[in-house]
Amino acid sequence: MSIMEYNGGSVIAMVGKDCVAIASDLRLGNQALGISSNFQKIFQMTDRIFLGLPGLATDVTTLKETFRYRVNMYTIKEERELEPETFAHMVSSALYERRFGPYFIEPVMCGLQKTHTGEYKPFIAATDLIGCLNFAKDFVVAGTASTKLYGVAEGLWEPDLEPEDLFETCAQTLLNAVDRDAYSGWGAEVYVLTKDKVIRRTLKGRMD
Amino acid sequence: MPDGSFAHPQQRQFNPYTDNGGTILAIAGADFTVIAGDTRQSEGYSIQTRYAPKVFRLTDRAVLAVNGFAADGNMFVKKVKQRLEWYRHAHAKDMPLRAIARLIQTMLYAQRFFPYYVYNILGGIEEDGSGAVYSFDPVGSYEREACRAAGAAQSLVQPFLDNQIYFKNQKAAPGTSHPTHLPLSDVLSIVIDSFTSATERHIEVGDGLEIYVVVARGRSPQGIEGIRGVQELSAQPNGDRTFILRRELKKD
Amino acid sequence: MFLTRSEYDRGVNTFSPEGRLFQVEYAIEAIKLGSTTVGVRTPEGVVLGVEKRVQSPLLESSSIEKIMEIDRHLGCAMSGLTADARTMIDHARVTAQNHAFTYDEQIKVESVTQAVCDLALRFGESVHDEDAMMSRPFGVALLIAGIDELGPQLFHTDPSGTFVRYDAKAIGSGSEAAQSELQDKWHKQMTLQEAQILVLRVLKQVMEEKLDHHNVQLAQVTPTGGFEILDEVRLKEIVDIM
Repeated sequence: MSIMEYNGGSVIAMVGKDCVAIASDLRLGNQALGISSNFQKIFQMTDRIFLGLPGLATDVTTLKETFRYRVNMYTIKEERELEPETFAHMVSSALYERRFGPYFIEPVMCGLQKTHTGEYKPFIAATDLIGCLNFAKDFVVAGTASTKLYGVAEGLWEPDLEPEDLFETCAQTLLNAVDRDAYSGWGAEVYVLTKDKVIRRTLKGRMD
Repeated sequence: MPDGSFAHPQQRQFNPYTDNGGTILAIAGADFTVIAGDTRQSEGYSIQTRYAPKVFRLTDRAVLAVNGFAADGNMFVKKVKQRLEWYRHAHAKDMPLRAIARLIQTMLYAQRFFPYYVYNILGGIEEDGSGAVYSFDPVGSYEREACRAAGAAQSLVQPFLDNQIYFKNQKAAPGTSHPTHLPLSDVLSIVIDSFTSATERHIEVGDGLEIYVVVARGRSPQGIEGIRGVQELSAQPNGDRTFILRRELKKD
Repeated sequence: MFLTRSEYDRGVNTFSPEGRLFQVEYAIEAIKLGSTTVGVRTPEGVVLGVEKRVQSPLLESSSIEKIMEIDRHLGCAMSGLTADARTMIDHARVTAQNHAFTYDEQIKVESVTQAVCDLALRFGESVHDEDAMMSRPFGVALLIAGIDELGPQLFHTDPSGTFVRYDAKAIGSGSEAAQSELQDKWHKQMTLQEAQILVLRVLKQVMEEKLDHHNVQLAQVTPTGGFEILDEVRLKEIVDIM
């Protein structure tokens, strides 16, 4: 029995043209048994940062609170908004602190990074369960359907997708990947983040 | 021990199986079938050869792709070919596709307790002229399908095929419906995309790609003759026609 | 009949100096003592007919079985030592089922005929550790009727293991007269009903008893119905039409 597969669940994040998307399934399981079809794994950390936490459900709940605390402390102490890249390093170091007794989570994050010129640049990142960072330029995946997500995303994703196209690509990738994964599925949600709004959509998909 | 005895009991084991990686894939059209496989053969992290075919032409209208343990795969193909030859002599005709499918099941199940460690995908033209794909597990459980991926990158490719071939999770525009079969050019694009994607993300996939196309007798080969590097394998152009299309894949 | 009869007619696996196997030839003769059996092929299907010699009024004519099913698409009628035919038909049935099991398709008529004929010459003395083989040739001839991708077909097999395809064939005691009648009356575009009537007429000609639905049996193989033995009601209808 793998602890990473104990509760199931998958997350993917993608880069588009001046936008990012992050999507996850909504299943909470106890191995093969489905427990909930409304278990959120994506959390909004700031106006411009989203965090996905696939892995052991108890650690999802713990880390969500831990990062809320750390982000708030950062914002108060530093008196400035937290940048996505900084947040990624925060996640990484928080996980590495538990190098020899890790949280069983592989975080996926996305956001819009402020540049020197004041514009916003899409940002995505993922880490393994001990915080090894992966700044991909296209997409990042994690969870029990990760191999499937890689396959579909590699086939569907293309550069410079507009928000609506990015949404569709991200949704299709997730839906088709989790349909081939017994531990993921039972509904899905997608967030698309642009410089002036956040779109959240829950998806109708197979419930088996 | 100097006297040849051992202080502790020792256990030895011979493992008769190896996984030689690679991926195969087949898609059925209305009147054609595409069967493809990469040509890399590996053992662990070592590449044994960059060109070891996994797809074999059995008859004028049947092509078999074999993935898993290469030694078992090659022996299995040899035995299937032998049975086809015997059948030809006994019954004065080529074995029909569905008969080959059933034969493969009985041959695989005959080895139920020491199986061929092989995933088979059989593609070709059915007696009624339709394109067909049959997929098997190592002990002979089989099914006719419109498309199937198997091997190292099955988990990468199959959900992509679900989406692009079966239009899973897609809704047709109002008043229209999804096609049950795609034209050849679309299928070839999907096959090539699938393998370049799998090559990108899976270490056991790459080097070369061999795509077999079987077109039913009297049906249009849909411009395949014009594609770069296509070679026709069929002897007479008035029967079912088989083409082979080779492509390079990344070698890293 | 055989002027050169000699010691050579004893061993089943010894050629005579003239190059003949007497036991096989005698077996072929034995068939000529059997009841008359007729087969007719048409584009619509194949019809088989046999004469049932009801030797005693106490005999249950329905227990005489001279036409048997091999598979859904294959039937067989016999003449000669009908007990021998059971071995052959058993073999044919197993072969047909094995083919369907292995290849998921119906076996061809010629293939099943070939399989039966492969049995015919397995007589003689067994080699030391081999299982005992058959001691003599089969004393039966078969008409194998069936339909496959090549259409309706009729095959004749004899004890020598030779098989030949026919449009219409008669075997058994009345075969000579029956065959020449078939040759006269058979034509390419026969309907199934014409064939049924032809079979009955030919049988009627060569039978000593008056033909009725008790002393003949009719069977057919058609693309839709497969092999079927016609029941007494249907048989009587055809007898009445004739």
